[in-house]
Amino acid sequence: MDSIQPTNERVVRSTCRICHGGCGVLVHVKDGRVIRIEGDPESPISRGTLCPKGIASIQLVYHPDRLLYPLKREGAKGEGKWERISWDEAYDILTSKMNEYKQKYGAESIVLGYGTGRDNEAFIYRFANLLGSPNVLTAGHMCYGPRVSTSIITCGNLPVCDYEGNPKCIMVWGNNAIISNSDEYKGVYLSDALAKGAKLIVVDPRFTKLADRSDLWLQLRPGTDVVIALGMLHVIIEEELYDKEFVKNWVYGWKEFVERVREYPLKRVSEITWIPEEKIQEAARLFAKTKPACIQWGVAIEQSINCVDNNRILIALAAITGNLDAPGGMVFYVPPSTMNAGQFGLHRMLPPEQRKKRLGGDVFKLADAFAIINPKFVWDAILHEKPYPVKMVFLISSNPVITRANASMVYEALKKVDFLAVSDFFLTPTAELADLVMPAATWLEMDYVAEFWKRHGYVLARQKVIQIGECKSDHEMLNELGNRMGQKEHWWPTIHDALNAILAPSGLKFEEFVKRGFLQGKMEYRKYEKKGFSTPTGKVELYSTRMKEWGYDPLPQFREPPESPLSRPDLLKDYPYILITGMRPTAFFHSEHRQIPWLRELLPEPFVEIHPETAEKEGIKEGDWVAIESPRGKCFQRAKLTLGIDPRVIGAQHAWWFPEKDSPEHGWKDSNINLLTDNDPATCDPAMGATNLRVLLCRISPKKREA
Amino acid sequence: MIKKLAMIIDNDVCWGCDTCELACKQENNPPEGSRWIRVRTKGVQKINGKLKLTYSPAHCLQCSKPPCKEACAVNAISQRPDGIVLIDSEACIGCKDCIEACPFGVMQFNSEKGVAEKCHLCYHRIDRGERPACVDKCIGRCIYFGTIEELVANLGDKRWKFGSEGQ
Repeated sequence: MDSIQPTNERVVRSTCRICHGGCGVLVHVKDGRVIRIEGDPESPISRGTLCPKGIASIQLVYHPDRLLYPLKREGAKGEGKWERISWDEAYDILTSKMNEYKQKYGAESIVLGYGTGRDNEAFIYRFANLLGSPNVLTAGHMCYGPRVSTSIITCGNLPVCDYEGNPKCIMVWGNNAIISNSDEYKGVYLSDALAKGAKLIVVDPRFTKLADRSDLWLQLRPGTDVVIALGMLHVIIEEELYDKEFVKNWVYGWKEFVERVREYPLKRVSEITWIPEEKIQEAARLFAKTKPACIQWGVAIEQSINCVDNNRILIALAAITGNLDAPGGMVFYVPPSTMNAGQFGLHRMLPPEQRKKRLGGDVFKLADAFAIINPKFVWDAILHEKPYPVKMVFLISSNPVITRANASMVYEALKKVDFLAVSDFFLTPTAELADLVMPAATWLEMDYVAEFWKRHGYVLARQKVIQIGECKSDHEMLNELGNRMGQKEHWWPTIHDALNAILAPSGLKFEEFVKRGFLQGKMEYRKYEKKGFSTPTGKVELYSTRMKEWGYDPLPQFREPPESPLSRPDLLKDYPYILITGMRPTAFFHSEHRQIPWLRELLPEPFVEIHPETAEKEGIKEGDWVAIESPRGKCFQRAKLTLGIDPRVIGAQHAWWFPEKDSPEHGWKDSNINLLTDNDPATCDPAMGATNLRVLLCRISPKKREA
Repeated sequence: MIKKLAMIIDNDVCWGCDTCELACKQENNPPEGSRWIRVRTKGVQKINGKLKLTYSPAHCLQCSKPPCKEACAVNAISQRPDGIVLIDSEACIGCKDCIEACPFGVMQFNSEKGVAEKCHLCYHRIDRGERPACVDKCIGRCIYFGTIEELVANLGDKRWKFGSEGQ
């Protein structure tokens, strides 16, 4: 759609990317300016709905603090002095630095990075692989990456809740999917399914609105998810509520798996998880007997030492109840015929000897198999030059000073690294440490084949509506840089040629694709009946042959979180509460958007959830500034008293900084919960390297008045 | 006779996502501090031993006998035949009597212009055949707009409630 309205407004149909993206939008433009963003009722992803962030994109685009042209550091690192330069000069600096470090220290000394990504993932991997660097620093070790990689080794692909197939029971696990879930389907699908009467089970330590709407809320001890699932499986197996045909034909390692499950009788499960036995029974029966049923799982279970096994056990639940690739169950969507992100990423171009040098690759073997690294290894390589020096970090849409565990170490490392380049919208606390800053384009400033890496069976058209300053999309920047780095034969003359290459298998050019708005793969259910599951045994591997090969336990197991009342009783005297971090507000996407007036008005300050009994014991009142402290550090958030959290648990927000506070620091230490989190590899998931952000020990106290 | 228009919200299914607030900000552009629709909550309550969390978006209900209109000393507040209550910002002197008079606490004050303002159901959209800006973007689909007769007659009907795409 690109029509002229009677009022001389132009309406451009596009795809939002203010978060992880995907919602269909109609962008109203007048006199070259975006004046309004409406939901697109024809969008298969969002069905006409939008969220606060999507609407507020206007204030992001035209924000007075936007970076408008490339900047070069003047003066000392982090001093906040900048010189405007041209894109040509920026490209020259980047290419000469990369060539220099590659020659002197090897391509592995250059780390490329993104955060949750601006749909730029495949371009960044392509660039890094062609450069010869095995080190792409992402959130993939603890967000979405584990879901995908664990699914692939267990059942061949990522199973996604099939809302279009009308699930009758939905189990939402570690996910506040209406408020924040940007992968695959959007909250509106869950909302509509509930309106149509689907049963709802919610597993969450917090009483969310989803918990309020649920038939059954399991308020677990944080970090014990895998044990609840083992308990449910125990009931399902004992009461023979599983799909025997499916198990007989399509499950590998059933006998061993059942033996493992039998180690978790309900009494033990209840003791570990804080959930009464009868509730687990009830959940197991409801989930197993209601067909079809699906699991809407989220990032909370991934940021844990049990990351991989949390994922594996949920796949097991879906599989043995006969819900895998069944309509309304957990399905493998068929992608439309375009190039996929894996192909575009050119992983096969990375020389094997370079691949062997992937940081932490010999430690976290599942992560290594999916080209994912754990951030701590990058910081160590910068600070201690072990196992080799990292000299350059190039962050494209990432703010690790705020968003990665052990923020003090991150800050120190990024301050020390020889050369830091950042591409972003604003001078974030991370960008303030850079030597070179590039102005990035928002979703309203680019053409793109959106979401071709997701597993919901669609690709979506994103259209450039406006140009702001000299901002460039990350894709355009990397295409240009690739050309200038001698990778010419693998890149394209223009970004449009690149987009046409992605679309080539569909036979469409970008212009034709835009007219269609989206492409959808042709869905087929129960594909395994014809082709088996895409695993080494062709079955759902509840006993994982790949994990065994890598030297891990082939069966899911429970590890007590590394810093919990049970594993560290020695800390309890000083740090008596369990701290969970990362509850999602509607207003922000991780560390983004705190400078956007409409969004900041929704949530001006960070808050920490405390049960009223606990607050009273600690002398804390509603709205007080509270010091939250762990053995590693402290920060301050405002107290929000709520009955929706266990008195033994404290729930803090993540990713806070204050753009309005003085540069270059922007208050990055004030409320940053990652000053409290740990990134010791021993506390991470042993196969994936997922960082434990969700179970720590802490103490809280009223903030003392400044003298 | 012109039918009365209204907007009602099903608080039971409101997710508290704040989309309506931003839809309104974008459409009507009230300054910081003025929110014509505002998602209120008392937080998690214990009711008969059970936890309950309710979000209640509050906006002007376009009262049939508006106390704000009666309270206005300069006759800046009027009511259209379809029931929409309007404030004439030229005539408003910013005395805030209407804010005091509103029993629902939804009358807002525009500190930049020094005048009272509030939800007017996006009458400019209604007049060109559209619905208020907040209605269609709502993720919970819990905002209903129509004539009072329509609303009363159709509330129990899910097809009407969720539209064709919800089925």
